[in-house]
Amino acid sequence: MNWKLILLTLGAFILIWVAFLVTGVSTVEGLQQMVKGSMGSARGWTGTLREMTPLLLLGIAVFVGLRAGLFNIGADGQFNIGALCGVFVALNYQGPGAIIVALLAGCVGGALWAWPAGLIKAHRGGHEVITTIMLNNLAFFLTLALVKGPLKDPNAQSPTSANVADAAFLPYIFESGNIKISLGWVFGIVAVIGLWTWLKKTVSGYELEATGANPKAAETAGVKTKAVTVRAMLLSGMIAGFAGAIQVLAFEHRFYSGFSPGYGFDALGVALLAGNSPIGLLPSSLLFSVISKGVTSVSLLGVPKGMNGILIGLVVIVFAAMRYRKAVKNDG
Amino acid sequence: MANTSPVISVLTSTLTFSAPLVLAALGGLCSERSGVINIGLEGKMLGAACATGFVTQATGNAFLGMISGLMTAILLSFLHWLLTQTYRMDHIISGMGINLLAGGATALVAKTFSSLGSEKMNAFPVAAYWVMAWTAVFGVYWYLKNSRGGLRLNAVGQDPDKARQMGLKPVKVRFMALLWTGVFTGIAGALVVSNAGSFTDNMTAGRGYIALAALILGGWRPIPAFFACLFFGFLDGVQLQLQGQSLFGQTIPVEFWQALPYLVTILALAGLLGKGSKAPSGLGRA
Amino acid sequence: MSEIMVQMSGITMDFGAVRALENVSLSVKQGHIHALVGENGAGKTTLMRILYGAIQPTEGSVQIGGEEKHFRSQDEAIHAGVGMVSQHYSIIPELTQLDNLMVGAEPGWLIPRAAAKTRADELAQRMGFEFEWDALSEGIGPAQAQKLEILKLLWRDSQIMILDEPTAMLTPADSDLLYGKLRELANAGATVIVVTHRLPEVMEYCDEVTVLRSGQLIGSKVVSETNSAELAEMIVGHAIEFQKPDKFDAGEVVLSVSGLSVKGDRGDEAVKSASFELRAGEFVGLAGVDGNGQRELFLNLMGLQPTLGGGITLDEVDITRHSTSERLLNGMRLIPEDRHEEAVIEDWSIEENGILGLQRSGSVKSGMAINGSAKAAIAERITTLFPTKFDHVHQRFGALSGGNQQKVVNARAFEGNPRVILAFQPTRGIDIKVSELVFQKLRAFARSGGAVVMVNFDVDDLIEHCDRILVINHGEVFEPRPEESHDRAAIGRLMVGAQ
Repeated sequence: MNWKLILLTLGAFILIWVAFLVTGVSTVEGLQQMVKGSMGSARGWTGTLREMTPLLLLGIAVFVGLRAGLFNIGADGQFNIGALCGVFVALNYQGPGAIIVALLAGCVGGALWAWPAGLIKAHRGGHEVITTIMLNNLAFFLTLALVKGPLKDPNAQSPTSANVADAAFLPYIFESGNIKISLGWVFGIVAVIGLWTWLKKTVSGYELEATGANPKAAETAGVKTKAVTVRAMLLSGMIAGFAGAIQVLAFEHRFYSGFSPGYGFDALGVALLAGNSPIGLLPSSLLFSVISKGVTSVSLLGVPKGMNGILIGLVVIVFAAMRYRKAVKNDG
Repeated sequence: MANTSPVISVLTSTLTFSAPLVLAALGGLCSERSGVINIGLEGKMLGAACATGFVTQATGNAFLGMISGLMTAILLSFLHWLLTQTYRMDHIISGMGINLLAGGATALVAKTFSSLGSEKMNAFPVAAYWVMAWTAVFGVYWYLKNSRGGLRLNAVGQDPDKARQMGLKPVKVRFMALLWTGVFTGIAGALVVSNAGSFTDNMTAGRGYIALAALILGGWRPIPAFFACLFFGFLDGVQLQLQGQSLFGQTIPVEFWQALPYLVTILALAGLLGKGSKAPSGLGRA
Repeated sequence: MSEIMVQMSGITMDFGAVRALENVSLSVKQGHIHALVGENGAGKTTLMRILYGAIQPTEGSVQIGGEEKHFRSQDEAIHAGVGMVSQHYSIIPELTQLDNLMVGAEPGWLIPRAAAKTRADELAQRMGFEFEWDALSEGIGPAQAQKLEILKLLWRDSQIMILDEPTAMLTPADSDLLYGKLRELANAGATVIVVTHRLPEVMEYCDEVTVLRSGQLIGSKVVSETNSAELAEMIVGHAIEFQKPDKFDAGEVVLSVSGLSVKGDRGDEAVKSASFELRAGEFVGLAGVDGNGQRELFLNLMGLQPTLGGGITLDEVDITRHSTSERLLNGMRLIPEDRHEEAVIEDWSIEENGILGLQRSGSVKSGMAINGSAKAAIAERITTLFPTKFDHVHQRFGALSGGNQQKVVNARAFEGNPRVILAFQPTRGIDIKVSELVFQKLRAFARSGGAVVMVNFDVDDLIEHCDRILVINHGEVFEPRPEESHDRAAIGRLMVGAQ
């Protein structure tokens, strides 16, 4: 830690203090309540792990993109599309393996929604940040139009789909008292391990990381970087869509306008915080879910949801200042 | 207004919707032509809108409101400069961080001071902003072409290392560039809140990103970017006009029109609407 | 008579734990051309970057015209009349030639372009140069770029002119012209410092010479009082034995290129209908001025640059349409021009970089997985083939010095049963002793049944080490007549298309 980083961290704490001051809640009390609310009880943990599921899965999605050199800011849109596809299938197909089919639908939807960004990046050089931002907005309006129109639950006032059948609920893998752990969370853990193995031990994982680290060198080493880029974007979108379908089947059971409170954006922070190894996604998604659950629990004291953005924004900034630094090129 | 012809009302709304885009795109241009990738336009606009709205309502003074908006955007821009230049942080990450921070902070302020926001603020006439936006386009164009600062901005944006070798200081050049980004996004934010009458949560609604898209479509040049903004404003105007109207016997959902600018941008990037021009070579480099 | 214009005393420079310069002094007289010579990595450029304010010395002082100076950045040095032309030029391709001339020293807040152009023309005329001021600077050749750099010094009224390896990219004829101009400037009162490793230039054109070796000052001499042999001894510190190419019988054709045309990055025809053959055992040199299609030819042979026409066969198999990956598997190897961008991933470890390009080869890939022990074995070999300074194979590649990076990249090209090695300046940044070893290993590889093509901008190196020389000029590849092939001047003429 040099003095610059100490100053930045100090500045971040002062900002948090000021933010609490504005809300009229004492900082110490607020932070205490956040910790208590998220990790102080079985109910708190259940909520935290529930928050962690989409953040972890989306974190994985964004992480895959980052390793291939892609900033998938579109995870939020892919998540929404995946969720919508999941709901659509779950509402219309109740045969055998309904859950699996719905999850697959989510994967396909998310992948399709990411595809144009991958193609444009690989073949037109259009920056994926711009395309995925545009695709996010498109996803927002598309899903909104659908839940206002053809998919709308006729009995509801607000734009929302009908609830899926109980048979399509993703089961809890562990239930004891107030602690409930969804199968979706377990999928996340398994995916992290799978991703780690793939990236570190296989040729295709190696080539993906080479593409992300230095596309020109990768190309020289015989890697078909354009194909890798498109595939990485598809995979990233697929995982994000899967996360959306999980969110529907495990927790929400329906799709409505405002389905994602910006999970896809928080996931960017999760993935950045994870560092170079997918294993880092576990602590970083936990931290983000603790913040998120914590802020929800202090809202009872009158702290607005905006506190979440402030805290996450500052965590991202301080952490990025420590890790993602560019060296000045030596011209000698 | 019931008797206004549709053409006039589309034109008016084109001007109204495009003015903040133009200003924000100019802000993005200053930053990106100096080599700093700026996806933080949204956060800066939002911050400015929030400060302008609440200060105007609290003091009843539109001028004070606008100044606070400007200061907020400049402050966020300064933070962006600090992070990218002295902390050498990745430009996209720092931009994201600023958007998250500004989004959270404005939501917090809006909720806390919600009592203030109930009445409509008094603001400068929107036409004043139009004039500002249009003048600014030609000002920036002229400055880039004819001034020392413009040449240096370009040199640093294309190749910071070579510029350094020629005795320029990229860090200083970018400081000035981001200062102007602050000024332009500040006015843009003030305009957004003045149009609406009071601040609401996330009221810039992605305009910062649209401005960035316009900048890219315009090949990072002021005049083409200006036309791209006009085009997006026009789509917005058409959308208002066509809402609820039927096309080929079908009712088109309003969301279709709202999504149109984004669709157009994607198609343009996909190369269906002509090739985009080259980005500054030094984008994102230290 | 002449006064001392530049006096650097007791300069020590540390980069982290590495001492690049130790207690070095340099004095340069006004009106002189002073040569600063030494091997790669001797510290010449570092010393000059200190004088130009780009970096600040750990210890020591700099005096300009008798006045002590502490430059904190380039612009302070520029204000004090110091100008530097770096080896790779500081011309920004996206700016016009006039803007490149002015940037950093514009005539005022508002740029009066018409007046500026008039002054630019005056300067150009004085030097006998010609420029298209309103044209963009992309695609101007090295000779023209060098001229523009010299005008930049004049535009800034630089009294002290530092030129880092100014002839590295120039033909012998253009080099003569350059030194002629420098002499004119020196006679007019300028102080010129030339960083070079070419002794003939020093002997022919310079007044004084200072020799550095491994960051230490070895000595300064008046050129008329010394000779090449003495300087060579000072530079290297010991005599080097050059191994002459041995006699051998060329075997069957390994690589055959016929009528190959390659598309350049700007859509031009960078290589024009090139035809040549490489036989087993041959170590062939490709001579040419930088930017005449060498890069595009090599990249195309690796499948990285689009083909306009013609074909390539490797061991009698047509590989014209093969992907880079297939060519690597079939034994094509490239030591790329741009080490940072094309050869390695600096953030990765040495070990991870060791299999870059070999990741799909039989020894490394088993099923879908990477064979860990094969990876470790490769890392072991490529760090020991040439004497390389490193801590351990899990160390970040970018932490190696430039010369050591180049050694590892060179060594990697010998892995996985190669057939043809395309080497682009494989000895860049490597000292003379190890360079000699690199040439030896390349030749030994060829003799064992492979073939090597080497691009090197130093014609002497090519004549010294290669069995045969090809020349490339404006994308056309041809073979000199036998009597020309060991004649430096003749090859120099062919390189620029003169008869």
